[in-house]
Amino acid sequence: MKAIENKIKEIAARLLQSGEVNIFLAWEKGDYEYQSKPYFARSVDEVDKIVFDQYCIHNLSNSLLKFRDSSDKIGLVVKGCDSRGIVRLLQDNQIERSRLYIVGVACPGMKDPLLAMKNNSGLFKPETEPEVAAKCQTCRYPNPVIYDELLGDEQTPRPQDTRYAQVDAIEQMTADERYKFFEDTLSKCIRCYACRQACVACNCRLCIFDEMRPQWVGRETSLSDNMMYHLVRASHMAGRCIECGECERVCPVNIPLMLINRKLIKDVDKFFGPYDAGIKYEEGSKPPLSLYQENDPDNFI
Amino acid sequence: MKSLMEYIGIEPERYQTAWISGAEGIKFKETMENLVSDITRLGPNRKLRDMR
Repeated sequence: MKAIENKIKEIAARLLQSGEVNIFLAWEKGDYEYQSKPYFARSVDEVDKIVFDQYCIHNLSNSLLKFRDSSDKIGLVVKGCDSRGIVRLLQDNQIERSRLYIVGVACPGMKDPLLAMKNNSGLFKPETEPEVAAKCQTCRYPNPVIYDELLGDEQTPRPQDTRYAQVDAIEQMTADERYKFFEDTLSKCIRCYACRQACVACNCRLCIFDEMRPQWVGRETSLSDNMMYHLVRASHMAGRCIECGECERVCPVNIPLMLINRKLIKDVDKFFGPYDAGIKYEEGSKPPLSLYQENDPDNFI
Repeated sequence: MKSLMEYIGIEPERYQTAWISGAEGIKFKETMENLVSDITRLGPNRKLRDMR
């Protein structure tokens, strides 16, 4: 990790010095050992602050959305999951490839900073921290799929046989059991929108839930409005969700959001597939749902 | 959409999509009649309806 960190610093300094990029996105250390947060270096002097360690779990490709209207050239560090986010942004024409310098890091799996924080807070009974965060345990693409420079040793994808297991389990239930289940889980939602903010696929310029008086949907923290919010969000994620699992990780009330996202992933894969979001970037290629074809299935609409 | 509604336990028949041109009055009538009969069969909706 330290070797990778030094290399990242070297690259960042080189790029910022030569003017190849104006901004370099990486992570910096927070107050505690388990806090690494996104950091935007804008000059060579700032490069020293960059870190790369076990807690750099945040998806930096999400931060690119802040720059979609600028003309800045951006260098950034991506892990496997983040790199898929970049591919999706490129496919959605949210940013130009020529503006990016991508440093890929083959990711051995990150640790969950939120769990570490809970353990250190004294407010919760400490849990044993797993080797890698929950979302990293089933990572299928630990190696970046798009990069200009690659660091670290190639990682083997971690086991995936349980990918749809939870979705299948829910599908086996009766309709009423399913409704009851989602009623229970989604009634906890406090509408903090952390899932939306952490998401690279959530890239509407103005979210309907930010409007003062949106039509058709409500902004109340009530069960029906919560369900509508999560349904709307989930359907916008169809074909876009890169399974980085950030939404679920940042959820303060532990809603299993990936259960809903995986259902959509499974459906897109079934109806338009085989398809995995953002695993390969080809210029001009269109993923399913960005392209109309005469023979598109429509029995589910 | 239907598949997602089904997944969270809402009867998918409650939501229907049809492509009807402004000139297709009869098709509109038929679609609406079918929708109404489908929904009457399902009975009143009690889901997604708290606090309203």
